[in-house]
Amino acid sequence: MDRNKDRRILVCCGTGCLANNSYNVYLKFKERLSEDAEIEVKPIMKSTGCNGLCEKGPVVKILPDEISYFKVTVDDVGEIVEKTIKNFETVDRLLYYDTNSGKRIKSHKEASFYKGQLKIALRNIGEINPLSIEDYMERGGYKALKKALDMKPEDIIREVELSGLRGRGGAGFPTGVKWRTCSEYKDQPKYVVCNGDEGDPGAFMDRSIMEGDPNTVIEGMIICGYAIGAHRGFLYIRDEYELALKNVRAAIDNAREKGFLGKNILNSGFDFDLEIVRGGGAFVCGESSALMASIEGNVGEPRAKYIRSVERGLWDKPTVLNNVETWANIPPIIINGWKWFKSIGTEGNYGTKVFSLVGKVKNTGLVEVPMGTTLRQLVYDIGGGIINNRPFKAVQTGGPSGGCIPKEHLDIPLDFDSLKAIGSMMGSGGVIVMDDTTCMVDVARYYMNFLAEESCGKCTTCREGIRTMLHILTNITEGKGEMEDIELLKEIAETVMEASLCGLGKSAPNPVLTTLEYFKDEYIEHIADKRCASGVCKNLTSYYIDENKCIGCTICSKNCPVGAISGRLKEVHVIDEDRCIKCGTCAIKCPRGAVRIGGMKVEA
Amino acid sequence: MEVAKRHGIHIPSLCYRKGFEGLARCRLCLVEVKEGSRRRIVSSCVYPIKENIEVTVTTDEIQRMRKNIIMLLLLKAPNNSYINKLAEEYKVAAPERYMNPLDDENCILCGLCVKACEKMGTNAISFVNRGIYKKVSTPYDDASKDCIGCGACAEVCPTNAILVEDNEGKRKIWNREFNMVKCSLCGSYFATEEAYKLMQEKLNDNEEPICNECRKKIAADKLKESFANIY
Repeated sequence: MDRNKDRRILVCCGTGCLANNSYNVYLKFKERLSEDAEIEVKPIMKSTGCNGLCEKGPVVKILPDEISYFKVTVDDVGEIVEKTIKNFETVDRLLYYDTNSGKRIKSHKEASFYKGQLKIALRNIGEINPLSIEDYMERGGYKALKKALDMKPEDIIREVELSGLRGRGGAGFPTGVKWRTCSEYKDQPKYVVCNGDEGDPGAFMDRSIMEGDPNTVIEGMIICGYAIGAHRGFLYIRDEYELALKNVRAAIDNAREKGFLGKNILNSGFDFDLEIVRGGGAFVCGESSALMASIEGNVGEPRAKYIRSVERGLWDKPTVLNNVETWANIPPIIINGWKWFKSIGTEGNYGTKVFSLVGKVKNTGLVEVPMGTTLRQLVYDIGGGIINNRPFKAVQTGGPSGGCIPKEHLDIPLDFDSLKAIGSMMGSGGVIVMDDTTCMVDVARYYMNFLAEESCGKCTTCREGIRTMLHILTNITEGKGEMEDIELLKEIAETVMEASLCGLGKSAPNPVLTTLEYFKDEYIEHIADKRCASGVCKNLTSYYIDENKCIGCTICSKNCPVGAISGRLKEVHVIDEDRCIKCGTCAIKCPRGAVRIGGMKVEA
Repeated sequence: MEVAKRHGIHIPSLCYRKGFEGLARCRLCLVEVKEGSRRRIVSSCVYPIKENIEVTVTTDEIQRMRKNIIMLLLLKAPNNSYINKLAEEYKVAAPERYMNPLDDENCILCGLCVKACEKMGTNAISFVNRGIYKKVSTPYDDASKDCIGCGACAEVCPTNAILVEDNEGKRKIWNREFNMVKCSLCGSYFATEEAYKLMQEKLNDNEEPICNECRKKIAADKLKESFANIY
């Protein structure tokens, strides 16, 4: 059976798949293969990082057959070994089901989820065992470092500058400019910092990179150290990211063993070493100056950045800080050159961006696409559209600092500048898709609530502004809003945006301002009609049954958890509003759409 | 900020105090800086001044922001007399629906007390929590062993939010009671034992305790004496 010679079975062991028991699937494969005497040449088994399509995990790939199985359980292992490994047949029921074409697809590469993607930052994830530096090197790893060490620092900086790479952490500052400015300061020591304190709700690309391909981040940081003349670097990693911490730690040890870190790297005479700093558990520590304060051991509060951190950063020394995804882009740029990178994306926004596509979309997961891909392509082609084909309402991009984009802007190209122009932002790349069951006033309230806990609380505008906006929004969602609140909300939001100290404060009102701009009708409906059309704000919701539509199937009354629905078979049913707890189950279960959502119950 | 003060130009602020580095917390000291063709709004207490910039202390836009900031402070500390005075001066009223008339909060988290404590070298108080739950306190709100009861925090507080109770040789502050030292000349209590000890150590001084008032008096007497000899 020579065909088995180069075969590999890759079991995804990213956090998403691990939570779905993928490690036991991996062990089961190992056990099954080792005890099976019939397989002469044993395929190589690997546990890999995240494949992106987390929702359909655990993911198992068989190479070079290019077969991908989804939602694999321990019980499926036997069948896969019998059919696919021994007899080269596919197990059809585990293949990817393409929601767009309605067909099962053998290789994941053919699936619409993957077809529109182009992987640079995520290039190795899902293909290698993150704990094996040999795996990384086999796929070209540390070649960029070797090449860079033969270059002049100046030439490396020019390469990054010409590539047009912009920081993937959110603001999109040109990476090359940052490196150049820092290299021009002669003060020593200098520092290189990796921001791995990913905190946006719904964003997990940095975690996935640190878990699935930690060496690429390390390689990028060493190259930067050499280019700007720094000898020490720090990886600030969110403390909740246990697997990322473990894998990065192992990668640093491996790199040291191979001579990529430490004294006299690859006999170049250049010394560089890295340390991990575990995050302090605050969202605001993802802000660069707060992050540096946290590394120094101080309270994680931002400072005014009239003097940039490239001049006076960590311990007041010149510091380059980049985000995980930015670091992952450095080795490919050095290897392939700036022209290659600049050929991808759109004018001023080159390369790719990783988005974490979540919410009410059929395919959720990590997606890397060229800059300028439209929101429609992301949600419909790659994401497969809205769950249950409900109407699209909005997407929220950029986490708590971003804004909500309505359907009028579905054709917007996803890049730093276009998103900023409509009041949202790229942020770290979280994309939360919302359908008609989402209440936009409640979304704004949710983010204010998040920020009320996560703002550092240093400056008056951010702390008191968010407190007051949360108060007003809570009032509106509870039916206590008044028309003058809209103006007050806007006034406060604008002051918070203009007068706050750091990026978090300046962008905090975005969820409020964008929902006010694009969904003002919903605010008015909440305040004037005391009605929440999506049925989210329970004080402003009541359910009733449309007599003309009800067929008396009794499904609603059987599913009502509090027995508030009465009616006989084949007769119109009635909801007792006093007993109803407004859970909305009846509206979801009704086969005829006869359960309607009304406004606040008016006391008789 | 310092340059403006030197030239007698008033910039409103709550968290600035001469001798301390700027804190950039209260946001009232915003000014507009024009550098070449670029205009931006900066906190004047931390902005490093340089040549060839044009600074406008008050524009309509900044005035609007200051008013909104004062309104937010009024919502935070609705019964504080200092904030109310400020609101009156800027003709600011906060929407009553969002004011709690029973709120007895006085602290506006300007951070001067934390800075003063740090400057004393004691570091007994700090910011606790974050976001809207942020406050100034000792670790776990307990009586702090580092606190010397000097009262510098209360001294610098613009809104009188720190409670200091001096009563018959005892001082209560930050949940701790201190014994006070009497002035060897006039007999009034003037400092806590801990603060006096620190002062002696720093000054390498072993003399009898003398209060500020008496020190001034001694200095004045000496001056008088020396002038008497001249004339």
